[in-house]
Amino acid sequence: MKALMSRLAGLVMIFMFFAGSGVGAQERPERFQRREAPVAIPVTVFHSTQGANLPTAETLSKGELLFEISHRFLPAVADGADALWGFDGPVYNRFGLAYAVSSRMMVGVQRTNLHDNLELNAKARLWETRSEAALVMIGAMGGIAWNTAAPTGAGADDGEGQSYGQLMLNVLVGERLALGVVPTVMHNPVIVDATSENTFVLGGHAQLYLSQHASLLAEWIKSPGRAGLEHNSGTFGIELETGGHFFKVILTNQARMNPTQFLGGTPFEFKSDEWRVGFNVTRVIAF
Amino acid sequence: MRLTTKVGTIVKLHSVMHPAAGGVLVTLALLTAVGPASAQQEYRVDLTAERSVTFTSSASIEEFEGVTDRIDGMVRLDTSALNAESGGDGTEFFFEVDLTSLDTGIGLRNRHMRDNYLEVKEHPFAAFGGRVARAAPLSDGAYRITVQGVFGVHGVEQDRAMTCDLSPVGAGYRVQCTFSVLLSDHDIEIPSVMFLKLNNEVQLNLDFRVIPVEREQ
Repeated sequence: MKALMSRLAGLVMIFMFFAGSGVGAQERPERFQRREAPVAIPVTVFHSTQGANLPTAETLSKGELLFEISHRFLPAVADGADALWGFDGPVYNRFGLAYAVSSRMMVGVQRTNLHDNLELNAKARLWETRSEAALVMIGAMGGIAWNTAAPTGAGADDGEGQSYGQLMLNVLVGERLALGVVPTVMHNPVIVDATSENTFVLGGHAQLYLSQHASLLAEWIKSPGRAGLEHNSGTFGIELETGGHFFKVILTNQARMNPTQFLGGTPFEFKSDEWRVGFNVTRVIAF
Repeated sequence: MRLTTKVGTIVKLHSVMHPAAGGVLVTLALLTAVGPASAQQEYRVDLTAERSVTFTSSASIEEFEGVTDRIDGMVRLDTSALNAESGGDGTEFFFEVDLTSLDTGIGLRNRHMRDNYLEVKEHPFAAFGGRVARAAPLSDGAYRITVQGVFGVHGVEQDRAMTCDLSPVGAGYRVQCTFSVLLSDHDIEIPSVMFLKLNNEVQLNLDFRVIPVEREQ
């Protein structure tokens, strides 16, 4: 009996110790019932609002501004030391601004020095879902562009206007691999043609997130071949991100920068002799 | 015998156990664990009033804040109302903050905070639980209370003491607390890549109201 009571007292002490420990920081005491449901973690597939060229379904938060400066160097890396492995230039550049009118809707303007292409666009994040298998996000984007310094061509008298509409279908497989498919319908892909046409372009891209700050990216855009723009566009590179910045360094056979330009194809074949260096820098600014 | 638990709850037991007193001891011990049955007042966070939890990081390049209103919690006093006698083993408090809701003003930075540093998927809440050590009266019915307990964030817990000022508002109190947290104490990686620098010491400011809970008869 004595031994039994001694054991019982010991058990009580152990019980009380752990009962007290139950008040610990990550364990709620019994008398506390949280009255608000936990905030759901937002779905994120691609971290950035754009890949090397193709857009993602991701949008900014309401009221945020995105500033972009991007370059594509025209000399090929294969030109060697004489062209400083492509960095001598000249370059095509692009400046862009986008503003989030809501957490699902962005409007933007971007201009590139190739043909002085000026584009106004809008993008919407339409739907996203989270399941155990994957995260899915779907968006849509459209834009209109003018080429105020279009080359004089074969009697182009239909104006220099272009437009496009596209869907962004994004999936995160596992924790690190983001995949995107971007079907696009574009109007007037070749501004020097006397007539305008509609064309269908299919793009795909992937991004492998290696760490908190670094990822590898690849992109392929299949465009109908046409004179002067015979080839599909391929791009691969790395992305560094931190606190609202994205910095991409790429190799590509596509030097044209605005959507109505790179969606139309490229004159360069996707082989190492034709790879060009490019970079994109974006910065999110909140007021 | 004094048995101090992880959160500072102190339980008194007889230092010498007599076999004949075993049954009495069990009863006493259980009663002590439950605490006094009278003269208690419990307060809970007023979810209808303005609440804010703000952390401020002073970095070498930029200073930024993270803000959320998703704090909930309770305080149980060992007195029928907050007074200079409040505090001790019969008290208890627990507060937690939903870290997923933190807003730093930039969506991408929010995601970095959530995914990379706080890792909210595994550790969704920061919490502080323990007991009220003492309550010192200030002017106009206000009190400065000292609480002791365990503060946990990112799955790492630390013993902490904190001082909060309570000023009367209606039947309850406005609670304002300020304290600092070392990210390294909680195994939170300090971002130091490229454009973002974060100080290891983060300032936390809590501002919310508590209202009394009607006691069951």
